Amino acid sequence: MRSAMRLAGFAWSDAELETIRPGLERALASLEELEKLPLGDTEPTTQYRIV
Amino acid sequence: MGDLVWSSVVDLARMIATKEVSPVEVTRAFLDRVATLDGTLKTFITVCGDSALEAARAAEADLVAGRAHGPLHGVPLGLKDLFNTAGVRTTAGSKILADSVPAEDATVVRRLRAAGAIVLGKLNMHEFAYGPEGLNAHYGHARNPWDARETRVAGGSSSGSGAAVAAAMVPVALGTDTGGSIRIPAALCGITGIKPTYGRASRAGALPLAWSMDHVGPMARSAADCALVLRAMAGYDPADPTTSVLPVPDYGAALTGDIKGLRVGLLKPFFMDGSAPDVVAAVEGAARALQGLGAIVDEVRLESMGHVAAASFAIVASEALAYHAEWMRTRSADYQPDVRERLKMGAFVTGVQYVRAQQIRASVRAEVDGALARRDVLLAPTTPLAAPVLGQTETSIGGTKTDVRSALIRLTRPFNFSGHPACSLPCGFTADGLPIGMQLVGRPFDETTVFRVADAYQRTTDWHRLRPPLA
Repeated sequence: MRSAMRLAGFAWSDAELETIRPGLERALASLEELEKLPLGDTEPTTQYRIV
Repeated sequence: MGDLVWSSVVDLARMIATKEVSPVEVTRAFLDRVATLDGTLKTFITVCGDSALEAARAAEADLVAGRAHGPLHGVPLGLKDLFNTAGVRTTAGSKILADSVPAEDATVVRRLRAAGAIVLGKLNMHEFAYGPEGLNAHYGHARNPWDARETRVAGGSSSGSGAAVAAAMVPVALGTDTGGSIRIPAALCGITGIKPTYGRASRAGALPLAWSMDHVGPMARSAADCALVLRAMAGYDPADPTTSVLPVPDYGAALTGDIKGLRVGLLKPFFMDGSAPDVVAAVEGAARALQGLGAIVDEVRLESMGHVAAASFAIVASEALAYHAEWMRTRSADYQPDVRERLKMGAFVTGVQYVRAQQIRASVRAEVDGALARRDVLLAPTTPLAAPVLGQTETSIGGTKTDVRSALIRLTRPFNFSGHPACSLPCGFTADGLPIGMQLVGRPFDETTVFRVADAYQRTTDWHRLRPPLA
């Protein structure tokens, strides 16, 4: 967590990071699940404009 | 005077135009109401009493001189306090922007003023719009007017907008909706609110939470009122490159009450499965009511809904932290704790995960489009539960423990993700007397059909006319 935080340009204390650890671990686990989806070459929605 | 504040926007506009009531009389009635109730409900951050009365006197003079400005001439309006207002502070419910005074109005505010609306004040909200409960540590938590004990949340993030409309402190308010922030307070406060199609209404001058998920829309007591206000504020805006050049239809002209032959898809798995029994019963009752009006109802399954929460998290957390990065480096102690924690999470989402989430978004949008290719609207609960108690973090739905925040946004977030228009309207009450909302989801830029179905339902039901105990 510390290295990811520094890479993103932030300097929160260890105590501050600990407050988000449980929620963050759940969120990152759910993001890992998304890696398993067979999306193939689906174009990402980069410019979100319907018409 | 008591009944004047309970008049619809449509009726107020008509009564003012025909000089049955004056804009000053109407504005004073709502300001009196705010003075009486705001101490309890904590709906306003800034009341613009003097400027509202000045605008009302000008509106009255214009009427006498035969110069009516537009369809909302003399009608008071509340604004979630993240819409820029020239010369009036715009705090976004934060300490950080407590003294921020914009030089110009947001585009939608400018358009509504041009249509004749009078800004009564700036409404409370979850700090920086980042929370579905509507909590605010700096200006007080807005209370739900349906709970006489003053213990339940109004829902957020447009909490002041929801509570103020429900308590007849304003006839209509503007909100924004990134994961449900118009529809959640609409459902929890027993009013009507529409998140139009992404690109239908300009976001220019509205403080962002997540640019690609933010929507701007009206909240009022009926679909007819929302239709009138949306028409006045929507349309292409060169200041917001995501707005569509499609013309804005006359939504009101389509509100005939006739929905015979329209096809309604009742969203069952995911939407009904995880909802409280009284919510399910109310929405099924609404489906039967629509059937009784001649609509054809069938059941729909959307397979991709289970992926929406994680993918939305990746997008909202990344975009929100990108906007707040500088303040999170220099003023993180000035955020309320829950918002600060949510913002921090964005630092741990990778670029690959963000793009993956946008791929999933494209597939979810295609699936919703597919369901709507064979149907005119989709129907689902707005929230799986009624208004929670302030400070409540867990609830039990159907015997399963769940996090309140996740539950509140579970059913609304898919349509921020997909961009489809979605309108929440009241469809019943729990045994405790709390409102239950349902949402109608339409095809992109077909707000007309959404309003048509919602209005037909409201012509035959009274849920949206009931008055809360704290009002």
